[in-house]
Amino acid sequence: MVARCSKEWEEAGGIAAQALALQARAAPLAHADAEAWEDALSALRRAGAGGRDDGGARRDHALERKLERAAVVPLEIAALGADTAELAVVAAERCDGAYRADAAAAAALAAGGARAAAHLVEVNLGVRAGDERLARARGSEQAAAEAADRLLAAIR
Amino acid sequence: MSSLDTLTDAELVQRCRAGDPEAWNALVERFSRYVYAICVKGFRLQEEDAEDVFQDVFTRVYTQLEKLRDDAAVRPWIAQLTRRLCLDSIARGSREQPAPEQDLEESSDDFAEIEEAFAVREAVTTLGETCQEILDRFFARDQSYRTISAELDIPAGTIASRIARCLRKLREELEA
Repeated sequence: MVARCSKEWEEAGGIAAQALALQARAAPLAHADAEAWEDALSALRRAGAGGRDDGGARRDHALERKLERAAVVPLEIAALGADTAELAVVAAERCDGAYRADAAAAAALAAGGARAAAHLVEVNLGVRAGDERLARARGSEQAAAEAADRLLAAIR
Repeated sequence: MSSLDTLTDAELVQRCRAGDPEAWNALVERFSRYVYAICVKGFRLQEEDAEDVFQDVFTRVYTQLEKLRDDAAVRPWIAQLTRRLCLDSIARGSREQPAPEQDLEESSDDFAEIEEAFAVREAVTTLGETCQEILDRFFARDQSYRTISAELDIPAGTIASRIARCLRKLREELEA
């Protein structure tokens, strides 16, 4: 919206196209996140109710794979949050001044989304501190937060 | 990228007419996705039938290229040939499920999309290598700015602006 409303800006169309691409990636991820987590939760419940028997090791492996899958989606959401915040910074630098605050709001929301997603990777899925996925999620969270902070500071 | 990749459609056809086997390979390479997209997206052919049509299309292109009156019109000629062979395949009706009546309008939209997608694809090839690489990574491979930055060794904060500049060039190319 910020880019489309900035008529004088030659590259606004290119920024709007990227925003639409990020939006198109985000919507299915939101559904996938809910599905993957439901799936993992059901597996956790089954594992809790099953006790220990010969199938225990197989169930543990299946549960681990479901949790792995559930970790991938918030990881991608965190990366999208970082990209969206970065795109908002570029939009705010060049857009019509009347829409700069909207770009800053978009960056702040994206940073919030990246933070929440990184939190899901870490806490809900119980990954270890040295896990490479967690490092990537935290990297995205940090990049999004820095972009949003920079932008909010610039317009105050 | 081979030197044949930079030839126009008409130049490539002329090389094929002259009997250059490399030119034939390049022609198949250039139009293979296009033909396949018409079969699968436009006519919803199953994979096996799409492959049959694909083979048939390029066999006919090879044997009937002399009939093409305007070398620059090879793309629409191949498209027409592909559509006709897809319809023949559906008419035979052995394995495939023909598109239901209500889907015909949708299919026509699909054809327009296929044409547009290939026009864009062709225009992208006129851009510089870096632009092609960045646009492909962001829009086709869904890579994040950070991944693109790390793999191409470009500062992360400049990726979005670079993509926007590349898209502006692409638009100018398409409007030219």
